[in-house]
Amino acid sequence: MFFRFVSQSIRRSPRRKAMTVAAVAMGTAVATAMLGVMLDIGDRVNRELRSLGANLMVTPKAQSLPVEIGGISYRPVSSQEYIPEDQVPKIKSTFWQLNITGFAPSLKAAASLGGRNVPVEGVWFRRRFRGADGSMLEAGLRTVNGEWKVDGRWIDDRARNDQNNGAVEARLEAMLGGAVAGRLGVKPGDTLQLFGQPFTVAGIISTGGEEEDRIFTRLEVLQRLTNRPNQVDAVQVGALTKPEDEFARKDPAKMTPKEYDRWYCTPYISSIAHQIEEVLPMAVARPIWRVADNEGKVLGKIRGLMMLITLAALASAGLTVWSVMATTVLERREEIAIMQATGAGNGLVAALFSTEVALEGAAGGLLGSWVGLLLAAWVGRAVFQTSLEIPAILGPIVVGAAVLASVAGAAQPLRRALLLQPAVALRGGE
Amino acid sequence: MFRTFVIRAVQFRKRRLGLAFAALAVSATLATALFSVYSDIERKMRVQFRGFGANIVIAPAGGGQTVPLAAVALAERQGAVAAPFIYTVGRVKSEPVVVAGTDFRRAGPLTNYWRVEGARTAAPGECLVGSSVAAHFRLKLGQKLELDGAPCTIRGIVSSGGAEDAQVILPFDAAAQLAGLPEGNKAAASLVQVRADGERLASVQAALAKQLPSADVRLLHAVAETEASVVLKLRSTLFLLTALIMAITTLCVSTNCSALVLERSKEIGILKAIGAAERKIAALFLSESLILGVASAAVGYGVGLLVAWWIGRQIFPESVAAGVGVNYGVFLPVAGVTLAMAAAATLAAAARIWRIKPAVILRGE
Repeated sequence: MFFRFVSQSIRRSPRRKAMTVAAVAMGTAVATAMLGVMLDIGDRVNRELRSLGANLMVTPKAQSLPVEIGGISYRPVSSQEYIPEDQVPKIKSTFWQLNITGFAPSLKAAASLGGRNVPVEGVWFRRRFRGADGSMLEAGLRTVNGEWKVDGRWIDDRARNDQNNGAVEARLEAMLGGAVAGRLGVKPGDTLQLFGQPFTVAGIISTGGEEEDRIFTRLEVLQRLTNRPNQVDAVQVGALTKPEDEFARKDPAKMTPKEYDRWYCTPYISSIAHQIEEVLPMAVARPIWRVADNEGKVLGKIRGLMMLITLAALASAGLTVWSVMATTVLERREEIAIMQATGAGNGLVAALFSTEVALEGAAGGLLGSWVGLLLAAWVGRAVFQTSLEIPAILGPIVVGAAVLASVAGAAQPLRRALLLQPAVALRGGE
Repeated sequence: MFRTFVIRAVQFRKRRLGLAFAALAVSATLATALFSVYSDIERKMRVQFRGFGANIVIAPAGGGQTVPLAAVALAERQGAVAAPFIYTVGRVKSEPVVVAGTDFRRAGPLTNYWRVEGARTAAPGECLVGSSVAAHFRLKLGQKLELDGAPCTIRGIVSSGGAEDAQVILPFDAAAQLAGLPEGNKAAASLVQVRADGERLASVQAALAKQLPSADVRLLHAVAETEASVVLKLRSTLFLLTALIMAITTLCVSTNCSALVLERSKEIGILKAIGAAERKIAALFLSESLILGVASAAVGYGVGLLVAWWIGRQIFPESVAAGVGVNYGVFLPVAGVTLAMAAAATLAAAARIWRIKPAVILRGE
């Protein structure tokens, strides 16, 4: 009997029901789309911001003060201070390894070219290695600064040729910064004398930054030429971090054990730096604040903005659903009065209407969250060229919220209608 | 007579119209707020990117070691922030140390990311030292630094994670003297950092390159391009979301307005039975919808701007100081769309008025 009432009511006026469901679906779609975009936009923007380059610099713990202008050292290098190259991959075995998007070890030297000293860096360009858990990982300059514009080609770390009595040696290749190349008038494919050896110019890098005045070559080539095997002077690290907040600025040494655990297990730039120092005890890791600080600020702004907008959208979606449901009950006051006049108890009428409203809310919620997820995915593809990662739990939560908002909207007018004398209601009065 | 009709219709159905009004006003609020936030987001986000410092660097070209100091004035004439920097090697207790010089007043906006203990600027006879320098020589604020040729009092300790950590930073003139650079007309710097507005970056760079043929005017690609791509992506996200919400809002308005007509078939029947012309009845409904539309657009506009203002104040407190941070111009599109949709939906539903047969409707079929 109860179910017949409900199903009859839905079948009798399909048009009106469809409109109610559609209205609920619209509100839910807005809420879902906003939530879906909001939940993932921080990660997307964080990845965009990585094109700024490294946000952590790892250097050997030094007794002496570096005296360096534009990459040229004005103090004889002490070969005592270095990071062993074979230790560098340990950076990828720290707690927040998945947040480290790239790292690039480099060795610095200077070469005399055209009557002036030019800084030369031996680097990994793109190197694959096996991580601690056996998975293949990538590192090198291109994983940190993938956006650099190159005229010519990148040096391939794997390219070798046979020289020196059959011993397999790395090919002598170099990439030049735009300013150096302009000064020397060299083009990709030309040959350049460096350290008394002929280097092929693979490509010209233009960044606008200090790299314009550098020459890059493969790490093992420079290690051999400067006689510093297995040594690197610095490692640039790019990491996805959580914007710094009040808590992150606390001194870890003064934290309680519980606070320390929380700090350690949050990807703040300072905790990632701390973990790198743990695996490389001979080094210090310093945030590059120009990148790290501003990255955090921009990210914080975008996250906050999206959160408030979503909050506004959720509030208005809730209000819309609420008002639609209130309307449907209001329109059917006469029906309620007739039910009461023919002897239906208040409880029964309330149950009937609540069931109907909840069903409509669920239908609208399902439809709306489906449409909303499609819309969020569409926004993600249109803007970020990748689909957003939207947690699967979002759908059920939104449907539940839609049902709740529907029942809440219907509750007050329903109570009013039930308290009204049937005679008064049927006469059309208040 | 017509007015009485409309007013009575509103009075008699206060509750029902109140709910329709609420739904429309909520939609208009959301649309106004989002539209207002969207229209201003680019300016606000670009302000955030100023913290990254320079996006153009003027460096010596070819065999030169310096750039003319006049470059600073040229850049400032383009509306950009510019500061000269000078680098040389000095000695402290016969140990070499990098000495940098800058115009602190001009460099301030470009070095926001410096974390400084003490003061951010130094007057003649004073200096800032990098954190590594301070640690190496065991220096404290207020101490005297025995820098050969330019002893100074330490006013601040800088840590940036960059080259500044290993530098002693002096006022520009003191460093220029130490480096033995010429003064007056021929004054020069090691490099000049420039921060131009993101939108005008390319034109500022082109103008500077033309005026300074002897220098290399470089765009810092990483900063410039990241700024452009993040601002663009945020803007397009907000644009799509705003468009989406506007679309759903108009749907909401149209279903509401057609519902207002459809549920009153009986009344239409009675009006027709007592001899009202169809056009008159349609006009009655239309004016009711328009009143609703205008009222909800006005209320939604007010509340929406408040919401936008609140969001702006929460997220971008520093830009609110420069203005209210809301866009009053969004009223026309929001009100226009609301009214147009209300009128269109009512008229579409009103087509029924002509088809309704009073006798059939009043019999209850």
